[in-house]
Amino acid sequence: MNVQSEASRNFSRRGFLGLTAAAAAVPLLAACGGGSSSSSSGGTIKFWDMPWATPAYNDAAKKITESYVPTGSNGKASYQIIQWNNFYQTFSSAIASKTGPAVSTGGGFQAFQFEQQGQIAYADNVIDAMKKNGQFDDFLPGVLEPFKSDKGYVAVPWQLDMRPLWYRKSLFDQAGAAVPTDWPSLLDAGKKLKSIGAVGFATGSGAGNNIGNHLMIMMMINNGGGVFTKDGELDVMNDRNVEATEFLLELVSNGVIDPAAVSYTTDNLDAQWKDKKKAAFGMYVLGLPQRVGDTSGDLLVASPMTGPHGDKATLAFPNNIMMYKNTPSQAASEAFLVYYMGQLKNLWQQKLMNALPVFKSITELPEFASDPNNVKIVKEYQPIAKTFAAQGTTLNANLAVLDGGQALNQFSQTILTGKTDAKTALTAFQSGLQSVLKK
Amino acid sequence: MSSTTAQSGLARARRGLAPGGSGGRPRNEDLNRKSKLSGQTTRTFFWLLLPSIVLVILINGYPLIYAAVQATHDGSLIDTGNFVGLDNFTSVLTSPAFWKAAQFTLLFTIVGVFGSWGVGLGLALLLRTKIPAGGAFKVLLLLPWVVPIVVSSTAWNWLVATPDSLIPSIFRNLGLGTPLFLADPHLAAVMVMVFKVWVSFPFMMMMTSAALASVDTTVYEAASMDGATKWQQFTQITLPMIARSTYISWILMTIFCVNDFPTIYLLTGGGPVDATTSLVVLAYRSVFQDFQTGHGVAIAFLMTLTLVIVSVFLYRQIRKSSVE
Repeated sequence: MNVQSEASRNFSRRGFLGLTAAAAAVPLLAACGGGSSSSSSGGTIKFWDMPWATPAYNDAAKKITESYVPTGSNGKASYQIIQWNNFYQTFSSAIASKTGPAVSTGGGFQAFQFEQQGQIAYADNVIDAMKKNGQFDDFLPGVLEPFKSDKGYVAVPWQLDMRPLWYRKSLFDQAGAAVPTDWPSLLDAGKKLKSIGAVGFATGSGAGNNIGNHLMIMMMINNGGGVFTKDGELDVMNDRNVEATEFLLELVSNGVIDPAAVSYTTDNLDAQWKDKKKAAFGMYVLGLPQRVGDTSGDLLVASPMTGPHGDKATLAFPNNIMMYKNTPSQAASEAFLVYYMGQLKNLWQQKLMNALPVFKSITELPEFASDPNNVKIVKEYQPIAKTFAAQGTTLNANLAVLDGGQALNQFSQTILTGKTDAKTALTAFQSGLQSVLKK
Repeated sequence: MSSTTAQSGLARARRGLAPGGSGGRPRNEDLNRKSKLSGQTTRTFFWLLLPSIVLVILINGYPLIYAAVQATHDGSLIDTGNFVGLDNFTSVLTSPAFWKAAQFTLLFTIVGVFGSWGVGLGLALLLRTKIPAGGAFKVLLLLPWVVPIVVSSTAWNWLVATPDSLIPSIFRNLGLGTPLFLADPHLAAVMVMVFKVWVSFPFMMMMTSAALASVDTTVYEAASMDGATKWQQFTQITLPMIARSTYISWILMTIFCVNDFPTIYLLTGGGPVDATTSLVVLAYRSVFQDFQTGHGVAIAFLMTLTLVIVSVFLYRQIRKSSVE
């Protein structure tokens, strides 16, 4: 029996094929589609900023921008928030269509990516102006150097994101364990913490979570290793990296790292740190107590661990402000950036930032220094912090591929599942990086 | 009427003659006037349609052409780069990651289509019967389709992500161990497919409900009188009568599954260790995480081409089966 409704019979073949073709084209359009853009307004310096903290941060940054009083023929500045979701696409399409910003914050390595494509205006004049107004000497040691390329300063750092080690004091007391100071003590403490149901080394590498990726690199540089040589050459298979990876696998096999960590999102990690019985120790983001709403003093920054060969290091991301060639006036962009750098202390005075400041004077502000965790991070971590470029010192566009790319993510997930050996995982990591890094 | 007479009548009709043969040929001036009018009408239609045509070309044509350019170059989102011919396609087609993703996409699609259809059909049949609060029940069943995927994926994450989440806790309490639903590669793949079925079954349920509503109930009465069992009625009447709608919903769901990005990306991000990386996730990662624009667009091109071919083939099969 074959009975069909009138509606079915009237379904047009051409209409259906059109619908099918349109729907099938979705991935194609998604893969090559452009992002949002804004039109250029004559003379106004467009400043694009990211949601670096709570909405109150963006309100304050907007106020600073709109309070800018230009001198001479320089234009005023306008402020726009760009969401992190697909931000690279948003910037790329706007820059390609000449509707992008004149000045912006953005991804840690974004300036180097756009420099490679000839879109960045070097900041040497800004640095010169900061030398004159005294701000240059106020930079914390080592924060400016990564931005100096052969052609000039690619961007100007304005805040430091870092990955310190945190611990929950009450859980260590309960487990009768000492806060780890080196790798063997981390393993010992982790086993004791596991016995009371806590997590000895909290991390995660689930959807949208880079903490696991950062942990892999942090442990390598904590052992004097890293993905690049001092000259910027790829160097994944060095002995220090192998040793660090083997130790991470040991932590996994002993259950010191949560067996489900491979799937943990940042929400899952936040929940573990918020739970007073779960995350006891681990590398995580700045401002953890505020992030999880536990400012009781139980969540504290641990001192940096010493690696087996005496190395101490953690991972830092010097976030920066960049200028673009597409501007109503380069001089106006520079004047605005010099002004904005001079206003940064307002953001820390209002306690809007979780990240570290790049100026010594801001670290001495009572609003910042009143938090003992902040003081410890500036004193103990900032001097030993290294970027993804380690053992090299200069940032470059390839680091963006390392940071968010598939090779590192696959490597960290492989390690966190524990079903591999160090050399096999590192070989695959190196091979994955080689296939995507620009020569 | 003999066949000769019938053919003669058809021939006359095609020539525009009256049955009696007295119609005569239309005059030349009439033909010219009609032709002129027809030409004017065509031109009017053309001008009226032109804005839409231009819009369609701009919206669909330009990105497609630009994508073709990107797929044959080694550039970025800003800079087209150098022409590399079909190198990106060769590189993609020889990559184990592509074939692993293709394999997962195929499995995800098969489970997504037939799983959601099975659940949707069952519930559509259930909703045909008189059940208390049927309307409210129907609205509740639509929720997975209506709720934003960001919300539902977060909810599912909280249900299964950690050993202390609700579902693993239930398993543990039942003495079935503590399954790590998103951390184990095989279980994560299963979980993503189950999530897809959960999200998609309301669509299938609505399609099937609409098709079932058009089935004449007297057919069942007649079948009953002929002694057909319920199962025979289902397999011999219901399924054939909704077959066309079913095939179309399968094709649409195939397209939805192959193109599905958020379901996978929000729940597992394609992990662990690429266990749930589909082709569309791989394309996204290539373009936006590895900045390999040509590779990513080449993957998207291959997906689009495959989808169009499969869809056209399936549609022709439907047409053929309908005619037969």
